[in-house]
Amino acid sequence: MKLHLKRPPRSVALALLLAAAAAHGAPPAGRLLAAQCAQCHGTDGQAVAGMEKLAGESEGEIYGELVKMKANIKPDEIMHRQAAGYTDAQIRLIARYFATVGRSATTTGAVSSRRKSDD
Amino acid sequence: MLLPNRRKLMQGSGALLAAAALPSRLRAAALPRVVVIGGGFAGATVAKYVRRWNPQIQVTLVEPNPAHVSCILSNLVMNGALTMSDITLRYDTLRTKYGVSIVADRAVAIDPVARQVRTQNGSRLPYDKLVLAPGIDFDAIPGLDSAVLPHAWQAGPQTLALKAQLAAVPAGGSFVLAIPPAPYRCPPGPYERACLVADYLKRNRRAGKVIVLDANNDVVAEPHTFHTAFQTTYAGIVEYHPATVVEAVDWSARRIHTNWGPIQADAANIIPRQRAGQLLAASGLLGSDPATRWAPVNPLSYESRLVPDVHVIGDSQGTGQPKSGHMANAQAKVCADALVRYFAGEAPDPAPVTASACYSPITARTASWLTVVFAYDPVSGTMKPVPNTLAEAPAPSSEHYEGMFGWAKNLFADSFS
Repeated sequence: MKLHLKRPPRSVALALLLAAAAAHGAPPAGRLLAAQCAQCHGTDGQAVAGMEKLAGESEGEIYGELVKMKANIKPDEIMHRQAAGYTDAQIRLIARYFATVGRSATTTGAVSSRRKSDD
Repeated sequence: MLLPNRRKLMQGSGALLAAAALPSRLRAAALPRVVVIGGGFAGATVAKYVRRWNPQIQVTLVEPNPAHVSCILSNLVMNGALTMSDITLRYDTLRTKYGVSIVADRAVAIDPVARQVRTQNGSRLPYDKLVLAPGIDFDAIPGLDSAVLPHAWQAGPQTLALKAQLAAVPAGGSFVLAIPPAPYRCPPGPYERACLVADYLKRNRRAGKVIVLDANNDVVAEPHTFHTAFQTTYAGIVEYHPATVVEAVDWSARRIHTNWGPIQADAANIIPRQRAGQLLAASGLLGSDPATRWAPVNPLSYESRLVPDVHVIGDSQGTGQPKSGHMANAQAKVCADALVRYFAGEAPDPAPVTASACYSPITARTASWLTVVFAYDPVSGTMKPVPNTLAEAPAPSSEHYEGMFGWAKNLFADSFS
């Protein structure tokens, strides 16, 4: 199939391939698990008000915080109960997903903006 | 399964541009079609997330109302803390940002063989996958007319009617609040409402009584929080009567008949027993046993166990998970992911998790919270609470009252914009 661009810049062609892969292959690991955080922390971790934004935090930061909460549940902390809902492997996937969407939304130009709109 | 030519078109790397260049009629024939019935938290979220996760899937949302009025926070409209516009959620962003087609019409019938939805205005909407999110329907109680005594368990005009009821309670008067047997929409909701009615009477009228008639044997959600509120915060105002069922109403005499005998009241909010939206029974989604109130579904995809290619999410589904806007959003994402995978020829995620959290105002300045996380149990094939995740706040606080607005605003945005 022919693209409607005469000489697509490399980044655009790559973006289309990535978009196609994202749309039709296996969903990115962790995406569905991470979507359960969005009710409070915003779609893809972009909180709108009054809650911590998760997009762009590092994998180590998110993973570290969640396993710490889970290991020492304080009764007055709603997030500690939420953290207890996931295995360590699931927490790793969630952390990696937020670290990735944060990075692609802010720093990697054409590819990321394409992925952002199509993911 | 998909037609081979549709699969092939979708796999081309230029499919996005090619699809955009086609006339809409041809495009409609080529791309997978999802029709969603009902624009509450479940329906809006599934429409948004299917489009976000694969914009080549066409999504049509069928909803007769121009906007959704959220039950979440609606007790704060009743007590005057918020206005209707604070809880009114429009569909504009679903259309403009995500390309969801909004059909302002009521779905009246489903043809699962021809795979079509028929609407009140006579349209026939074809689908490859249908998602039903119609919310709840109510049992009739003899003598009860919701136009006279609002249930306010679907927000909108009913919310304002209840607000007017509350404002009209005479000084020292009694307000009866009747809670149906579980499961019903929003487990802590009726107790939250009892607290805010008591708070309102305390602040505005002094004295007065709130008589809570609970069809259940005990407080269904947050028992510590609500027993403490009834016995301490609202001591002398709230009377709690468990195992009390409303059997009939004679409102001309201000009389409510229960299994323990009649009660007189100055005002009343009777919340009837609930079942899946009417369309489900009519479409065979509840099976042949009239005692079945909620749709049996596979919790990996929310596909009906009875009718293929029809998925049920939100309050109408019968997985045993709590019925709430937050959980409806949670299930909608599991369903959206399963639909995206289905059109790519894949099986659903074998280990879905659904997270629940909510805040309830207890006074005009404090709130509590309730949370639980569910995970799929492959042995039983059901969603089960994960150990150590079910909890209520140890005590209501002003900090949680603030947290409530952060939670609600993000939940509204994640579902509708």
